[in-house]
Amino acid sequence: MDSTTVEKILKEIEKFAPAAESEHVGRVTAVGDGVVAIDGLSKAVLSEIVMFEEGKGKKLADAMSAEAELYGLILNLEEDGVRATILGDTARVSEGMTVKSTGKILSVPSSEELLGRVVNALGEPQDGKGPFKKTTLMPVERQAAGVIYRKGVSVPLATGTKAIDAMIPIGRGQRELIIGDRGTGKTTVAIDAIINQKYEPEETRPICIYVAIGQKESKTARIAQQLREQGAMDYTIIVDAPASAPAALQYLAPFSGVAIGEYFMDKGKDVLIVYDDLSKQATAYRQLSLLLRRPPGREAYPGDVFYLHSRLLERACRLSEEKGGGSITALPIIETQEGDVSGYIPTNVISITDGQMFLVTDLFNKGIRPAIDVGISVSRVGSAAQTKAMKAVAGGIKLELAQFRELEAFMQFASDLDKATADRIESGRRMVEVLKQKNGAPIPLERQVAALYAASHAFFLDVPVGKVTEVEGLLMDFLDGQYAKTLAAIRKSGQLSEDDKKELNKAMEEFRLAHSEMFSQ
Amino acid sequence: MEQVYAQALFKMVEGGMEPKKAVTAVRERLIAEGREGLMSRIARAFSHIAQREMQKSGLVLTLAREKDSHAAHKEAKKFLDEMGASAKDLTTRIDETQTGGWRLEGREHLIDASYKKYLLSLYARATNS
Repeated sequence: MDSTTVEKILKEIEKFAPAAESEHVGRVTAVGDGVVAIDGLSKAVLSEIVMFEEGKGKKLADAMSAEAELYGLILNLEEDGVRATILGDTARVSEGMTVKSTGKILSVPSSEELLGRVVNALGEPQDGKGPFKKTTLMPVERQAAGVIYRKGVSVPLATGTKAIDAMIPIGRGQRELIIGDRGTGKTTVAIDAIINQKYEPEETRPICIYVAIGQKESKTARIAQQLREQGAMDYTIIVDAPASAPAALQYLAPFSGVAIGEYFMDKGKDVLIVYDDLSKQATAYRQLSLLLRRPPGREAYPGDVFYLHSRLLERACRLSEEKGGGSITALPIIETQEGDVSGYIPTNVISITDGQMFLVTDLFNKGIRPAIDVGISVSRVGSAAQTKAMKAVAGGIKLELAQFRELEAFMQFASDLDKATADRIESGRRMVEVLKQKNGAPIPLERQVAALYAASHAFFLDVPVGKVTEVEGLLMDFLDGQYAKTLAAIRKSGQLSEDDKKELNKAMEEFRLAHSEMFSQ
Repeated sequence: MEQVYAQALFKMVEGGMEPKKAVTAVRERLIAEGREGLMSRIARAFSHIAQREMQKSGLVLTLAREKDSHAAHKEAKKFLDEMGASAKDLTTRIDETQTGGWRLEGREHLIDASYKKYLLSLYARATNS
């Protein structure tokens, strides 16, 4: 650039008179642990976004080299100021800094572009694949749909897990809690449900959102990789607020996730959202609340911790046809300590959701995976959404298993058992084996129906318990090869007709003849 | 605790009570409650409140150069009128990093007509597009 051009630019700048506009501002009086006290901003509203002015007093070049703008979220309105949480690096905020009101409520960008991407709690890309081009801003805090805009749960959401789809069925728009100690396979159940959606036709396939709250980055990276390998990332969005993220972002992540989900629901689509996990969100919210000097209550949680979860989970619903008929199905996860479900947060979320599945360490250690304790797991609305085919085969399983568990306990004291009791125990053992499933391998509906049909018709009774899984696998391969039409018919109609039953009986007979060595018992 | 007493003291004085009377009233109250030891801490809290209140009502006009003062005062007058303030309430400061223009801050308002703000927004637009 020659000197005359520079001169010209400088003259232009000299002549320039920028339009001055009045902005509503405050001043930082105290900062610490991600929370700032701000004097002023008397017209600010709750959940408003404020912007920290970092350039003041800095040279132009330094101000230009600063990172992206730093925002805060107002959480407390007080007599002589406000308290806000910093949505970024606390070290960038200093006492005396000017804080500008933006007049905007916190929103996150949402669009189809987010599919297959990993974003943070503010909707910013975290996967290095560049910014989003065209998005719609969705408010993070939004009132849940009212009663007249809702519709009952009637469409099934297949999870691909036999034990769930048969005994604790989930419908689209339902909120089903996954609860258990650490290391019992809670995340696996949720991830399998996401992977299983690949078997759904594209037009009715739910958009999946996995919200990782306070998780290790390595775990989230592994999940993203697993979803990618299984081809599930094409319809999935990951909202990541890792353990290293500020408490504010961990508190916001589930709300951001559901806001993104609402974009798709408003368009009439179905959404499946997994909150992994809400215990950590509650802990983050407790930290924030204590720093905001809100009065602590039970277990030092603030008084509104119930409302924190209820307002989040109420946003999961199925909309009426007039509203587009979309839905959000929520699978919140809660981690218990030593199997104690009577804790504050677990009982809160149990009472909010439409059912819960308990995962138990004992079953997990016995090799029963998924380690769901079907005796105490329920789905309050899902049975209305269960397919007829599944209803036909799963009707008596829960009772059979409950009886088996009771007899199993009794068996430890009694050596002589009558034949009926012994048969029931043997049948129960095999049913437990049939319900076992590898992780990361969800099973499509028709195969589940076939396996459970076989189990409920004493097909495995002559198979040694240790070989049930193997025989089941071979039977499924046999059905895939020889009876693909029957399986396709079950899938298409969602029913188990008399013809289908005949075909399955025939298939089981043929298989038994072909593999007679496996039925030696 | 001292914050509450300091706030009360400030409101008493602001409400028109003589400072000496107000302090005596607070001291008597403290003696009655057995909290006389709080007095020095109340004084510190009071000075913080007073300082904050002064900042709230004060207005600062920041310029990049001394010579821009006349033009800046003229341009800022409209905003001062809106805020119910006059030129007498202004404290003028020089901040060379502003490059040019002026910036009026105070009473929960910020009017930034500095070149720096314009250049930064220009830079942000240029680098984001």
